[in-house]
Amino acid sequence: MGRVCPCCFSRPSDGIVVVTLRQIGRRFRALFARRAMDRELNDEIQLHVELEVEQLVRDGMRPDDARALALRSFGNIGRVKDDAREVRGVRLIEDLRKDLGFGVRTLGRNPVFTAAAVLTLAIGIGGTAAVFGALYGILFKPLPYPEPERIITVWQHHREEGIERGDVSPANFIDWRDRSRAFATLAAAEPYSMDYSGPEGAEHVGTWLVSAGFFETFGTAAVLGRTFTPDEYELGGNRVVVIGYDSWRRRFAGDSAVVGRTFVLDSVPHIIVGVLPRAFRFPPGRDVWVPKVFTESERSRRASAYYLVAGRLGPGVTLEAARGELGRVADELARDYPRTNAGTGVTLVPLTEQVVGNARARLWILMGAVAFVLLIACANVASLLLARTLRRQHELAVRAALGAGRNRIVRQLVTESLLIAAAGGVAGVLLANWLLGAIRALAPATLPGVDELSISPPVLAFGLAVTITTAILFGVAPALHAVSGDIREGLIGSSRSATAGRSRRRLQSSLVIGELALALVLVVSAGLLVRSFVGLLRVDRGFDSRNVLAVTVQSWGYYPTPPQRANFVREMQEQLATIPGVRAAGMTSSLPLAEAIGAEEAGFEIEGRPAAGPEQIPTVHAAAVTSGYFGTLGIALRGGRLFAETDELNSAPVAVVNETLVKRYWPDQNPIGKRIILRFAGPPVAREVVGIVSDVRHGGLQEAPRPTVFVPHAQSPTGANTFVLRTAADPRAGPALDAVRRLFRTTNAAMPIATVTTLDELLANSLAERRFNLALLGAFAGVALLLAAVGIYGVMSQVTNERTHEMGVRLALGATTGDVLRMVLREGGTLAIAGTGLGVAGALGLTGALRTMLFEITPADPVTYAGGIALLLSVALFACYIPARRATRIDPVTALRGE
Amino acid sequence: MSPAPADRLQGTLDLLILRTLVREPLHGWAISRRIRERSDDMLQVNQGSLYPALHRLEDHGKISAEWRVVDSGRRGKVYRLTAAGRRQLELEQDGWDEFVLAVSRVLQTA
Repeated sequence: MGRVCPCCFSRPSDGIVVVTLRQIGRRFRALFARRAMDRELNDEIQLHVELEVEQLVRDGMRPDDARALALRSFGNIGRVKDDAREVRGVRLIEDLRKDLGFGVRTLGRNPVFTAAAVLTLAIGIGGTAAVFGALYGILFKPLPYPEPERIITVWQHHREEGIERGDVSPANFIDWRDRSRAFATLAAAEPYSMDYSGPEGAEHVGTWLVSAGFFETFGTAAVLGRTFTPDEYELGGNRVVVIGYDSWRRRFAGDSAVVGRTFVLDSVPHIIVGVLPRAFRFPPGRDVWVPKVFTESERSRRASAYYLVAGRLGPGVTLEAARGELGRVADELARDYPRTNAGTGVTLVPLTEQVVGNARARLWILMGAVAFVLLIACANVASLLLARTLRRQHELAVRAALGAGRNRIVRQLVTESLLIAAAGGVAGVLLANWLLGAIRALAPATLPGVDELSISPPVLAFGLAVTITTAILFGVAPALHAVSGDIREGLIGSSRSATAGRSRRRLQSSLVIGELALALVLVVSAGLLVRSFVGLLRVDRGFDSRNVLAVTVQSWGYYPTPPQRANFVREMQEQLATIPGVRAAGMTSSLPLAEAIGAEEAGFEIEGRPAAGPEQIPTVHAAAVTSGYFGTLGIALRGGRLFAETDELNSAPVAVVNETLVKRYWPDQNPIGKRIILRFAGPPVAREVVGIVSDVRHGGLQEAPRPTVFVPHAQSPTGANTFVLRTAADPRAGPALDAVRRLFRTTNAAMPIATVTTLDELLANSLAERRFNLALLGAFAGVALLLAAVGIYGVMSQVTNERTHEMGVRLALGATTGDVLRMVLREGGTLAIAGTGLGVAGALGLTGALRTMLFEITPADPVTYAGGIALLLSVALFACYIPARRATRIDPVTALRGE
Repeated sequence: MSPAPADRLQGTLDLLILRTLVREPLHGWAISRRIRERSDDMLQVNQGSLYPALHRLEDHGKISAEWRVVDSGRRGKVYRLTAAGRRQLELEQDGWDEFVLAVSRVLQTA
């Protein structure tokens, strides 16, 4: 049919892709309105054929012949449709399948590369997913109560002492409850220990006495049985208990018929009416709930505060409104009862925030740290990919020559990246599972929800999102770079194309510099935490915690009168000291690092320097101790004398003070012989100061010592008794512990031992959170450093490979191996220094976030920075050294031949 | 930027189509007819290539299409040149002139 134009037989292929919105729209239509578009194409072709036939008929052909001719000249209609459809991009799915298959084969042929990339990614993705899992389980998971945001905890706010969340006193609670309209229910929980005579003998059981409306506040129903009815909050009706899930499993073996059984507490049989669901943990720490009945004296007890209060906001009431109302009530109370309530306000904290505490800040910091690790991992994989596309230039050039457009090639490379990312993601999730287990084991028990951390759907979804993001992060840039410039140069086999090589090297250098910078930030952060931790351990704690056993009893009920208690303690101390393996024994009512078991505060006045008014009486830390206490704990005497046998109930009242108190109240004088008035667990007593002891870090290693007064136990015989013994060897291991238990049993079989612990255990607990943060951050820093080292090693390796020819020339021209070594190290060194510089800037900017975790060290501590820089530079230079050495072994002859 | 050598072949058809649409919008058959007429029957566009080319040009935004009632009351897809198409036309035209110049120089010297 005439001369067919030679220009119109090629198959259409993609040109340079400019993805416009219009095109996206068309692709979309192509995918979802396939039939409609097919019909359109049909119509178009139909019209064309018809018009052609009409034309041919007008030119004189017979209609049938015309039709046959028109169709034939149209070519294979099916193929036309196919071609048109391909342009529409519906072939996407088939292409994707081909890409995937090809990608899998390619990756399989390079197992080392694939393994390296997948492993690197697994580390990054796994770590990120694990930390996110922790974040989610601890911070984000909603509390297991209906409308948890309406449950508010209420505290006393002591403005002068700066205590924002103080326990609530009974009378205050009752008045708040009665005078407030904002809360639908307001309830209190009182910690109360009861004695339980179970199969293993006398045991101390911690319970919560809860007021009416407690369970309604949380909206929690019992899993078995029920919670309390209103008449059970009355005297006589309150011989019932509700137990928690753990108690149910532990004490009653999960017996489903436990409701109705008896639980003997304080020698009174209580009926179990219900079991609470596993998730209910308020207030934390105790697993038995008993109804609270208020006594008359409690209705007026305002000074002593020990309730935990929580309430549910009434319908439509906002937190602000409740705050305002309770604030007004607190002001009224301050007016009505100035002696106790002046300066006492209210703090309202939503339960969700109370539960999470300050874990939020710490967890976000960990999230940031692990994100750095992920970025470094991505940078490494991107670098790997860049190196590989360099080696694949020939293959890519062939594909381009065969008609694959750039679009197609980019798609192929990105598919391979997705494959790597997917494999890395799966491996990462497995790693995250293991990591979460480690976090569960290491994490301090104070973090809520810790024991339930696991890979849950939100974590999986997050892992998926991270995987896809990383694939884009590390896959797109190398892919785009691979198709920049003229691909077909690769056909010539020249890997020395200048511009492409330069831009690739620039890209790789930037990646390495970025990695080193991120690694430095992490190393410095970990270093700051390490120095804080070490500094904390080295602080003078004022006592020797090694091999000290602490046994606590509450002797009030078993030795009702003061002389009986004084006797009990004195004899106990003597007998304890005789147990083989016990070097020293003593007793205190307030043990360092331990929870308070009794009164720990005392009103303090100096005789002759009275306070301005009753509300201005300062309080100090106070404890009733025996003479053996100071020696057992290794607290040094700084002046005067310690307590002796002569200081007993009827002799002159004495006291021993610590250095901090002396510094505060007698800065230039000798306090020995001075007299003070102490209000400690009773009416004010005038005492003479007879001794000064060294300071003890009581509240925790990071807390400065408070002014403290010690009184002889014989002169203030409290029933809160913690006996301390220093043993020759590990207290938990030796026979001493059994002997101690036996001694207590024989002395008084009915009196249970409340707690047994060692000072070292208490110390470890107090440091648990810090240790946890340090472990995680240290691990991240280590991994980051390793990955960054691998990164710079890879790049320098490649550089040496590429410049083999050049080095061969130099060596042939007389350069020494030392020169070559220096050359490589200089190049690597430049990268390292640039990365370090950037890292220092980043660290200075970011470590401010760590401020709350540090102890006596600033975020810009020079020593830490110097150490971090030194570490990073040495690791980086070492990583460069290996390829540098390889460079020195280049045989100039082979290099010059230039294969 | 003129098309790379391998795209030259396909680019020529694009050039023809764009040029044809400069005057007025046309539907597919009318375009092939116009090219044939203008070239005195020398260039008979293979319809199997015309439609893919049209769709490709549309995909890249050089021409736009809409369904209209064409002569004889039937519905047809009519293509028109866009602003980008006009620019592309100029580029292609320059490229073509260079190409022709280059080929003729070679032919003269060989």
